Amino acid sequence: MGTTSLRRGLPRVPGGEPWPPAGLAPSPAAAPAVQAEPELIAPAHPSAPAASVVETVAEAEPPAVASAPAVPAAPPAAPAPAPAAVTEKPVRPKAEPRLYGSRTLGQWIKLVVLLAVGAVAAAAILVLAARGVTTLPGVSEFLEKYPGAYDLPDTAEPGFPWWAQWAHFFNIFLMVLIIRSGYQVRTEQKPPAFWTPKRGGKKISINLWLHQSLDILWLANGLIFVVLLFASGRWMRIVPTSWEAFPNTLSALLQYMTLDWPVETGWVNYNSLQQLMYFLVVFIAAPLAAITGVRMSEFWPKDAKALNKIYPVEVARAIHFPTMLFFVLFILIHVFLVFATGALRNLNHMFGGTDVVNWVGFWLFAAAIAVTAAGWYAARPLVLAPIAKLFGQVSSR
Amino acid sequence: MKIIVLVKEVPDTYGDRKLNLETGLADREASETVIDEIGERALELALTYADANEGTEVAVLSLAPEGATATIRKGLAMGAGSATHISDEALRGADLGLTAETLAAAIRRVEFDLVITGNVSTDGSGGMIPAMLAELLDVPLATGLSSVQISDGAVSGSRPVESGVQQVSATLPAVISITEALPGPRFPNFKGIMAAKKKPVEVLTLADLGVTADNPDAARSIMLTVAEKPPHAAGVKIIDEGDAGEKLADFLIENRLA
Repeated sequence: MGTTSLRRGLPRVPGGEPWPPAGLAPSPAAAPAVQAEPELIAPAHPSAPAASVVETVAEAEPPAVASAPAVPAAPPAAPAPAPAAVTEKPVRPKAEPRLYGSRTLGQWIKLVVLLAVGAVAAAAILVLAARGVTTLPGVSEFLEKYPGAYDLPDTAEPGFPWWAQWAHFFNIFLMVLIIRSGYQVRTEQKPPAFWTPKRGGKKISINLWLHQSLDILWLANGLIFVVLLFASGRWMRIVPTSWEAFPNTLSALLQYMTLDWPVETGWVNYNSLQQLMYFLVVFIAAPLAAITGVRMSEFWPKDAKALNKIYPVEVARAIHFPTMLFFVLFILIHVFLVFATGALRNLNHMFGGTDVVNWVGFWLFAAAIAVTAAGWYAARPLVLAPIAKLFGQVSSR
Repeated sequence: MKIIVLVKEVPDTYGDRKLNLETGLADREASETVIDEIGERALELALTYADANEGTEVAVLSLAPEGATATIRKGLAMGAGSATHISDEALRGADLGLTAETLAAAIRRVEFDLVITGNVSTDGSGGMIPAMLAELLDVPLATGLSSVQISDGAVSGSRPVESGVQQVSATLPAVISITEALPGPRFPNFKGIMAAKKKPVEVLTLADLGVTADNPDAARSIMLTVAEKPPHAAGVKIIDEGDAGEKLADFLIENRLA
C-alpha cells in the first residue's frame, strides 16, 4: 500500500459514503507529485438519513450537489464527512395528501356527491317542468292529435327479419371494440406494437390497425344492412315517411320527460322519436364517423391538394371524437330504454325475432354480450399480432 | 455453433429519462425499462441465423440490476434458448472496465463461437464494451457492422466508415457489434412467450465469476459531478432592418462560431 489516499467520487447509493470507500492507493501508482495535491472529496450525509429525505435534498438543491466535489475537504488522514453538508439539510416537507388524478380522495367524493345531487335535482326539475308544460292550454290537445307515433304506410311489415338481428349483433360487437380501440389510439403514448402494410407504407400502432380493420368490417356490415333494408321495403320503419314524424317526435319526447312514457309497439311501429333517432344513427352519425375516420387514415389521398383544402384533416379530427360521444350517449339511452320498457319482450324482438314474453331473447342477448366481452379480452397485442401479421409486418418499435 | 448475444436493460427512450443527482446513476424508477433496441437487433441477427442453420444455440447475456429478469425474459420469448443474468449489488455504477471484465468472465465459462453486441447503448452511449470484450477474450473484433454474414468458421460484414465502406472478416470465435442498419426485432408470439417461461435463466453474482469489484489494484472510474441539463434558453431573434448581415456576423463572432 502506498501513502496516497484514494480519490473518491459521488456515492453509489443515495445518502451513502463517497465511492470508493476511504483507503490508500497501491504504492506503484503513488507518484510523489500526486501526493502533494489536495484531496477532492464528495460530500457525504453523515447520519445516513431516510431515502425520501435524501431525494428531496437532491431535487431541491442540485447546484449544491453538483458543485460540492470542488470543495476541498478533510485531509487524507481523516476522511471524515464534510460538516458543511449538515447545515444544508432542509426540513422534511409536510406529507401532501395523495392525489388521484387531479384531486384527493376527499375532493373526488365531494365532487361525485355534488354531481349526483345536481343530476337528480336537474332531472326532477326537468320532469316537473315537463309535467307543467302538459298542463298548459293546447298541449293536451297537441298530445292527443300527435300521440307520439304516426301510422306507417300499408306496405310496412311487422317484426325483425333474421338479417336485421345478425346485423344488430355484429354492430354491437364491432362498435364496442371500435370505440375501445379508438380510445386507445387517442390516449396511448407508446403503442404496444406497430403494424406496417405488406406493400410498404407508414407504420401505425397496432391499436390503430385494429380500429381500422374493425371499421372495414363495420362498414361492410352496415352496407349489407342498408341494402337489405331498402330491398326488403323495411326502410320505412326507420326513415320518416311523413311530416307528422316531427310533431310526433316532440310529443314522444315530452311524454318521456313526464315519465308517463308512450305505449311501446316496437314490433310493429316505432314511436317517432325512436324512428328519428335510429335514422340519425344509421344515416347521419355512422356515415359521419366513417368519412371523418377515413380522412384521418392512411387510406385518404394525401396529395389531393384541392380536396384537402376543402376538407382539412382538422375538421375531421374535430368531428370524429364528438361523433363517438354521440354514439355512446345513444347506446346508453337505447340500452336503458330497452330494459325499462319491457326488457324480455324487447330482447325477444331483436335477438329472438318473436313478439312473445319469454327468456329466449334474453339468453341470446347474454350470449351476444359474452362474445363481445371475449372479443374485448382477446383484443390485446399478443392475440392481435399473429392476425395482423397476415396483412403486414408487426414490430415492437 | 454457439452465439452469445449481449442485451442491456435501459430506461425507455420513449419517455423522460433521469439521472439521480446525488449518485449520477440512471434513475431506474423514473422511466420504464426495456431491452435496448440495438440489443434486440443483435438478437434478431442471431435468431435469423439460427432459423436457417440447425444446431445453432443462441444465448442472451445481460449485466443488470436484480429486477431485470423480466426484461431479459423477453429475449427468451423472441427465441433465444437460454439466458444468463449477472446481478450483484457491487456492480452498481460499474464502469466500462469492470462491466467488460465481468461479461468476459461469464462468456469464458462457456464455449462460444460468436459474441454479438450492439454498437452503442442508448443510455450510457459508451460503445467500448465490444472492444474491451475482444481484448479480454483475446479474439478478433469487428465493430459497427451494417450487414453480417455468418458462416461455419468465419464472420464477415460491411463496416461503414467516414471515407467509405470496409469489408471485414474474422475467423471464429470472434466478437462483433452491429448498427441499427440491421433488421428490427421480431415480435414475440404467444408460443414464444409460453416457451420462455420454461427456458433456463441463470442468475450469477460476482463471486460465481471470481471477479472483485473493489480491487484497489484495478483502476476504476469515479464520477465527480452531475448536474441537470439546463433548460433551453430562448434564442436570439435577428430582425432584418437592413443590417441583418452585420448582426448575424456579430452574433457568430460573439459566440465564437465564426
